[in-house]
Parts: sequence; structure tokens; C-alpha cells
Amino acid sequence: MKTVSTLLDKDWHERYRRISSLNIRSSIYDVTNRCNLRCKGCFFFSSGEHQAAQEEMDIKKWEDFIDREKARGVNLAILIGGEPTLCMDRVEAFYKRLPTYCATNGLIKVPREKFPDLMVGISLWGSSEDEKTLRGRDTFAISSKNYAGDAYTYYLYTITPPQLGKIEPVIKRIADVGLKVHLQLLSNDEGVNGFSWREGELKDLRSEMDEMLDGYPQTVISSKYYHEIITTGRMMERTFGWNECPSVTESLDNRKPQPRRLINFSRWASDLKTVHRCCTSATRDCSTCKDGAAHMSWIMVNKREHMRSTKDLQGWIEVYEMFAKLYHFIPW
Amino acid sequence: MPASHDVKGIIRHVAEIIIEELKLEDVTAETFNPDMDLVDELGIDSMDLATIALVLQDEYKIVIDEDDYPKLKTIRLIADYIEEKISAKN
Repeated sequence: MKTVSTLLDKDWHERYRRISSLNIRSSIYDVTNRCNLRCKGCFFFSSGEHQAAQEEMDIKKWEDFIDREKARGVNLAILIGGEPTLCMDRVEAFYKRLPTYCATNGLIKVPREKFPDLMVGISLWGSSEDEKTLRGRDTFAISSKNYAGDAYTYYLYTITPPQLGKIEPVIKRIADVGLKVHLQLLSNDEGVNGFSWREGELKDLRSEMDEMLDGYPQTVISSKYYHEIITTGRMMERTFGWNECPSVTESLDNRKPQPRRLINFSRWASDLKTVHRCCTSATRDCSTCKDGAAHMSWIMVNKREHMRSTKDLQGWIEVYEMFAKLYHFIPW
Repeated sequence: MPASHDVKGIIRHVAEIIIEELKLEDVTAETFNPDMDLVDELGIDSMDLATIALVLQDEYKIVIDEDDYPKLKTIRLIADYIEEKISAKN
């Protein structure tokens, strides 16, 4: 019988032990329906999710809700939006109760005197030109000033097809301001012209992502196995899609047979009653979804499937470590 | 319904359930080491444990609290846990 110790040497086994005890239970929360940007390709607005529920304005109700979430077993709150930093009191309510990650466009600085170790992920959509095309402004110019050198912040760089061959300058800019970066891919929900992935591009992208990881190991938080899965949509001869996705809200998950999934996972709308189908837009075609977190989770929930060889299990460990680093469950 | 409620019988039956649920190959209930760490060595996760726990609850008519999962590290510990639950019922 294959066991962890027959597959791993002492060092890898120790890495395995460090993460296997974490038992991360995350859920996602729309903190607000409002945003101070309107980006082309943002699923929240393109799919009408900003109108799915009326925002709860009573902070006490937020606090009670978060307490219930904690009692439900959630130990990682992922705040998205809209733009969470428009509602700092709600961010604070989460932060005081749970390990919290705040996804932001970085235009408003989270005050570190109040949130010393809040995990912050700043969205970035490429070069200045791409940012202007897709988001109407070069957000990096502002966010990099707000967060330069911050030990609990990284960029979440959504790579778009026009970025192929041009990723390195973006990584360098991030390294130069003393921050880290995680890579993910645009799904182009709004079908913006020239921003859909074409045949062959994803193979080239995978090579480029690997080069960035090799060239900037202190800056890029990633793994080559993740690059493989996110660019191919394939894992262990299986194809990513609705029947495989682990990031479906538990109460809405009526798939049969039930795939391996994130336990207790929900994505809540800002009325604190409505739940969304999954971690991204319900209107998205799952067969072309490039959501980085969903693909990462897909790997993570399929641990035993990776016990067929040493290489497979090491790949699984690296992806789990990447996830744990992104949410500061283990140090960078 | 499992044949035996003594610890030895429970160990064997838990091993059979784990082999069946996880589709393990190259191991039988007889050769399964009851002291093998299920997470650290076999690589099972909380979803596997939840699946196994559901079957055990059904088979032994007991309730396994999710908070107790971390205690259920080996087949022997699971068997002891089940035996205690059965004793408490009777």
C-alpha cells in the first residue's frame, strides 16, 4: 500500500505534516455591492451580482452573522465585493473575529494601526496600458504607494492574453516596491475584444509563469503544478468544470455524484441571507472558468488522488503550501 | 450490522470500511496496521473522515461529533471511540 512515508523523504514528509494539520475552512463574503472602480471583466458587476441582494447596513447584524459563521466552523473569511475597503467597519467586524483576507483594488489603504496583520490581496490586471483599458486607470501607481513594503500584502495579478511575453516588467515593478505577487488568469466574462484566450496561448503562458517563478522566487508565490492545472484545466486525466469544481456553495450543491468539495464553503451576498452559486459568477461557463482559487482548491481537496507517485504528492504539497502562504497560515 | 462489538471485531470492521470507502488497494482488513496514522501516513483528509464517520454512525448506531475527528487518528483509536460510545448507550 502506498503511504505518505513510502512516497516522501524526511524533508518532504515534514512539509506534508506542517500543512496536513491546518484544516482550513474558508467562506467568501460580499462585503458591499459598491465599488470605486468599474472594471471590464469583473464578474461581480457583469453578472449582476451587485444587484442580487440589498446590502445589510446594520453593523450589529454583521457582527452577529460573523459569530454564526465562526460557530459554523469557518476559520478563514475571504472578503470580496464590491470594494471591501469602502466599509471598514464591516472589515473590522470580520478581522476581530476570524483570520481575514481582504481582496481590494488598493486605492484605499487599510490603516495598519487598526489592522496590523490583516491579509490584503490587491487586484492587478497587468501593465499600465492594460489597467487603463480594463479598469479606466493605472491602479498600481496608487496601490503600490499605499502598500509598498507591507508584510501582509501581495498583488493578485490577473494575467490577460495581451500580457503574454510581457509579464516580467509587471513582476519587476512589484518586486521593486517590496511586495509579493500571485498569478491567476482572466476568464473574460464580458467578452472584451482581444482578451479571450486562444489556442496555444495558454501553453506559452504556462512556460512564462514557470520562468517568473524561477526568476523571482522571493516575489512570486506560486507553484509549477498550479501553473499546469490552471493553464490546461486538466488534473489526473480529469477536466475542470461544474462536475469537478470544489468551490460551490454547500447549500446549493445538488450535484450527483457529489465531487470532492470544500467543506462548509459558502459565498454570501451582502444581505447576509442570499448565497451565490460558487466563488465566482453564476453566469460563467464552468468549462472555461480560469478562477485561480477554484483550481487551487480542486487540487487541494483531491489529496489522495495525488498519492499515486512521489512527484504527484510533491506537486500537491507545493500547491497546498502556496495556498497556506497566500492566507498566512504558514510564513512566506 | 457488524458481527462483533468487541474492540478486535470493531478494528477489523473499521478497516474494511476504510478500505471500501477509500478504494484502497494492496491491503486487507487483516494486513491493515490498526496503529497507522490515517492522516499522516494514509493521507486521508477531513472529507474522507466525514465519509467514513457517516458509515460508522450508520453501522454502529452512534453519533460521531465532528469536533471529535482530530482524535480519530488511527483505526485502533476509532475502534476505542466506537466501543466507548456503544458502552455509554447500554
